[in-house]
Amino acid sequence: MNQWLRLHALALGDAFRHILKTPGSFSLNALVVAIALALPFAGLTVLENVRPVSEQLAVQPEISIFMAMDTSRERAAALAPQIRRIAQESERSAKLEFIPREQALTLLKDRTGLSDAIAALGDNPLPDGYVLKLAGFQNASEAGRVDALAVQLKALPGVEYVQIDSAWVKRLAALMHVLRLALLFLATTLGVVVIAVVFNTIRLQVLTQREEIEVCRMFGATDAFICRPFYYTGALLGLCAGVLALGAVAAALQPLNSAVADFARLYASEFRLAPLNLPNTIALLIISAGLGVFGALLSVKKHLARLS
Amino acid sequence: MIEFHQVSKQYGHDKSALSDITLSIDKGELIFLSGPSGAGKSTLLKMIAAMEKPSSGTITVNNQDIGRLKSSGLPYLRRNLGLMFQQQCLLNDRNVLANVMLPLLVTGHEKADAQKRARAALDKVGLLDQANSEPQSLSGGEQQRVAVARAIVNRPQIILADEPTANLDRASADKVMDALHAFHGVGVTCLIATHDEHILSRANRVIYLERGRLAGGAA
Repeated sequence: MNQWLRLHALALGDAFRHILKTPGSFSLNALVVAIALALPFAGLTVLENVRPVSEQLAVQPEISIFMAMDTSRERAAALAPQIRRIAQESERSAKLEFIPREQALTLLKDRTGLSDAIAALGDNPLPDGYVLKLAGFQNASEAGRVDALAVQLKALPGVEYVQIDSAWVKRLAALMHVLRLALLFLATTLGVVVIAVVFNTIRLQVLTQREEIEVCRMFGATDAFICRPFYYTGALLGLCAGVLALGAVAAALQPLNSAVADFARLYASEFRLAPLNLPNTIALLIISAGLGVFGALLSVKKHLARLS
Repeated sequence: MIEFHQVSKQYGHDKSALSDITLSIDKGELIFLSGPSGAGKSTLLKMIAAMEKPSSGTITVNNQDIGRLKSSGLPYLRRNLGLMFQQQCLLNDRNVLANVMLPLLVTGHEKADAQKRARAALDKVGLLDQANSEPQSLSGGEQQRVAVARAIVNRPQIILADEPTANLDRASADKVMDALHAFHGVGVTCLIATHDEHILSRANRVIYLERGRLAGGAA
């Protein structure tokens, strides 16, 4: 165990020594990798900021149940217990309100300001109806399950039409899903760019250190001993680039937030974009270092085999 | 300790570096390998270190057929060898002490222990006072002696030296050879390739190579 640690400490020291010999070249490579990482990091930051907002929206889908025009008031009122039973079976707490056609007409006049136009119609064109307010939904995507409930309600006798007002919630959930997929695609593409940059950086290092590698082999160095410093160089390159990219994203949030604040104020919101939290930051740094190690691994295997 | 049995080495179809070499070297021998340039001396030494593979025949070192050795086994073979080739291969990005420590660090020695042993090796070749110098600031003879110190620092069973006195003045060449003789004195097997007549005059056994073939001294 001591020897294992000693060999790793030696490899890390070697990696630092070689980096310090060409700090300009290392910095430029780290900058290129950081630019590639900054875009997915920025996307993730925005998504992570929007996700809690979308989850905290008042997700209380309403189902409007319209009776057929020829359904009598008594028959319409008699449906209330059946609607409650269906709502209870869906394991959601629900609030049911009967809205007679006269009340519906008054509401329509009051809310739309179209009283003159409605008066011109003569007869009341609206049917009796119910409004079923469902509670207990945790987020937008879960609210989509209300569709199944609507199908059961539409099958009740005397019901003409069932309207769910949670479509916008489903649209938001779908949009978030698309954004996540787009971010994943972007991250994968730019991850390949990072691996390619590290691959080339390590290739040049292997060629530069050709003499040292040959001398080490002459004195019995194993392939693991020779490869280790390059893996550490790849990891350090990825890590430095990750730190730079996170710093750039955090810096970009300041000017962006003043524009976001103006926009959010229009909706009476105090919404602000915040930097990523600590666990996410650590995870991104580990991924950055991991990409560096992977690029170095591919490069060292290929180019050391050529040197042999 | 080292056995060559009908070993040949060819580069391409027509260039033969070694032909049908059969020889035996016992533990603790000091052997000089002589012959004109291009006779195959360097190739023979490189084959013992498994840096070149024979085209045919077998080479055994410590009863181990190195032709059958897997690439993962080569480092462990080389840890028993002290190698010195024509170019000293000293690394110019580190000082003399760090160069001599390298074979020990490669095999996982503690840094403090490696430093101690590297200083002792430099002392043996009379260069302890140059431990912190840069290799390129030393003369050719001094660089060659650093290479000797590096070759013996991990206490090898066999030293393979290819033209260790090439391009050195007589005094420097004698110092290098004195160091190698000293290690032979403590039981290390030494195989030294040279065409320096002055050095050959100190030899017990000389193996002559000519155009890749043995011309004498194999027995």
